Amino acid sequence: MSTAIGLLRDDHSFGFMEYWMKRSALDGSQHANLIYLLPGLLFYAAFVFGPILAALGLSLTSWDGLGMPKWVGLGNYADLFSDSRFYIALRNNAELMIFYCVLPLVLGIALAACVWNLKQREQLALRTFLFLPYIMPTAVLGIIWAWLYNPAFGPFNQFLRAVGLGAFALPWLGDFNFVLPAVGIVATWYFFGFCMVIFLTGIQRIDPSLFDAAKVDGASARKTFFWITLPLLLPEIRVVLLLTVIASIKSFDLIFTMTRGGPANATLVPNIYMYQLGFELNRFGAAAAIAIVGAILTFVINYAIHRFVGSQHKGVA
Amino acid sequence: MKRTVKSISILPAYGLKAAVALAGAALLSFGLSAAARADDLAVWDDQTYEGQSAVIEQLNKDFEAAHPGVTIKRTARTFDDMKLTLKLAVSAGDGPVITKVNQGAGDMGAMVKEGLLLPVDDYIKQYGWDKLQSDSVLARDRWEDGKFGVGKTYGISGLGEIVGLFYNKKILADAGVALPQTFEEFLADLDKLKEKGVPPFMMGSAKQHLALHMIGAIDQAHIDASNRAELDDLIYGRGGSWNTKGNIESAKLVQQWAQGGYFFPGFEGISGDDAVQLFISGQGAFLISGTWYFGDMQHNPDIGFMAIPAPKGISKPMSVGGVDLAWAITSLAKTKPTQDLAGAYIDYMVSEKAAETWANAGYLPATSLAADAKPKLTPLLSSGIEMWKTLNANDALGHYPDWSSPTMLKTIDDNTPLLLSGNITPEAFVDAMDKDYQAYLKDKK
Repeated sequence: MSTAIGLLRDDHSFGFMEYWMKRSALDGSQHANLIYLLPGLLFYAAFVFGPILAALGLSLTSWDGLGMPKWVGLGNYADLFSDSRFYIALRNNAELMIFYCVLPLVLGIALAACVWNLKQREQLALRTFLFLPYIMPTAVLGIIWAWLYNPAFGPFNQFLRAVGLGAFALPWLGDFNFVLPAVGIVATWYFFGFCMVIFLTGIQRIDPSLFDAAKVDGASARKTFFWITLPLLLPEIRVVLLLTVIASIKSFDLIFTMTRGGPANATLVPNIYMYQLGFELNRFGAAAAIAIVGAILTFVINYAIHRFVGSQHKGVA
Repeated sequence: MKRTVKSISILPAYGLKAAVALAGAALLSFGLSAAARADDLAVWDDQTYEGQSAVIEQLNKDFEAAHPGVTIKRTARTFDDMKLTLKLAVSAGDGPVITKVNQGAGDMGAMVKEGLLLPVDDYIKQYGWDKLQSDSVLARDRWEDGKFGVGKTYGISGLGEIVGLFYNKKILADAGVALPQTFEEFLADLDKLKEKGVPPFMMGSAKQHLALHMIGAIDQAHIDASNRAELDDLIYGRGGSWNTKGNIESAKLVQQWAQGGYFFPGFEGISGDDAVQLFISGQGAFLISGTWYFGDMQHNPDIGFMAIPAPKGISKPMSVGGVDLAWAITSLAKTKPTQDLAGAYIDYMVSEKAAETWANAGYLPATSLAADAKPKLTPLLSSGIEMWKTLNANDALGHYPDWSSPTMLKTIDDNTPLLLSGNITPEAFVDAMDKDYQAYLKDKK
């Protein structure tokens, strides 16, 4: 009897909990739960999706920011693709990708491979030091690096002159040939530590027995790196590429604070051009067209990275 | 007090619906009461720098004291912020009654077109502003049917701007160079300085517009005020061409200076603002820029300011310059009393008394000082005020070339580094400006 009561009690308590769990609104049908997405969805619609649609609509009009927008169809896009400045901006952006994506990636992997072999404490110290640039706002970095490059009082040129290399003390941010690399190097410096940290976590993920097996087989460090580490890091390479490519296409703050796109458009990128068209020339339709082209470009390049990088290791990714 | 408590206590009885309705009613009545208080004057200005802001605060306080019952609701916005928000705020109906507005097609022109600004011609007549400032200064605030410089006047400015020649007395004296009186002497001085190993000009072309001001200032110093019509026509979009001998000569001269080592080394990588700081620290003998740098420049007592020396044969040379953003009345001044109050406010802001307050703070007022005014002026500002007087008397205040079309600043910015580096000829530089201008004229038709 007592057992029966106990069972009954257990049954009852179970039934009680079950009752309450069933009462949880989240146990309803998926369809009914959609309502809980509503607040987030409303925010997303108001601040992300709405503006994207608005930009798309705006790009089909001629609008000075004040009067009624005038419908021009694909006119803004036609203008854009016959505008030599836009092609200059695209070319500059492509060149900047070397500094935003390729160099940080190569440096990041190389450093990760070196740092990985260090002792725990040294590894932590180096990881922290090299990651530091990434915690700074890029706009601030732009201002500071512009001072470093200053031909009159910047330390770079003062150093060059001090060691007798005055001939190489160039006006970096005013030189047509060197201005793009000068700005790009800052992006590389900003991203390489971040890439290294991602790759270090990637290496941690790799099964150590693979390295042991390679060692037993007598593989050199170089071979181990190219045949084991690198292929197994493809998922991380993909992540790094995605992030840095997006950063390079949306690059604005660094260039705005360092050169504003100058001299003579030598560092003009689509986003700076968008700003100039919109906020300086009141051609918001044309500016919106650049934004849309930029978004499409981001999607296409990211799709290509998704499709072609790291796809043979789907399980890992 | 008691009634308030009671009304709150009955709130739950009505339920949520009633609460919302009450809140709505309260908001509405608050809105109505705010709108009904005509004595609140919403004013936007662009004086966000500490020194300038203090002057505006002082002037506002004085105006309120002179108009009991009037409260000024001041909003200070930077130039860029103002550009972005003013038009939308006024068209949305919750902007200022009085505002500073940037002259030119993109701002004042666009607002006039949309009926967002009210003409101030009646107040010009009533208060005699045309006696305080010359006609060529007031013309910068005129718009009619998309035409600049003609028709009704939509504003008036409180501060003047002149582009001239800053010089470092000590460096000139050390090099044994006297202050030039003519353009020919000026050129000879530059050669002498260069021979002595002193960079004749401080320059920075990486950002801001020192090079643009230099080219414009050299060009306009060669124009006598009696021949100003051609320049006025260009600026006000009435036609003409930038492709003139004078413009090409100025571009050529500046290119020769850039290529021939007359500029501070590394100028291509130095911003205009940094160049000014280097000049203040004693680098470079001359710098061509505007009165807006007086505040910084006064930190070096060796620095003086003068007009670009005119060539022989030019008796009333023009100087690039203008006025700051104009005070204007927006369409939100719906009633005559509000409009009149706004008129009175603007009158105060361009009065001789306000001019003295600005001068005391180190800024160049657009209105001449009263004859009996005794402001404490810095030597730089004294030179500035004298120049402003002469320019207004001679009707010789020139123009910023970039005002001539909405895209001109971008065109000049794109081409100036190419000119200075010798990548394009002076003719190609002037051609690019003219191409921009002709395209603008064609678009306007």
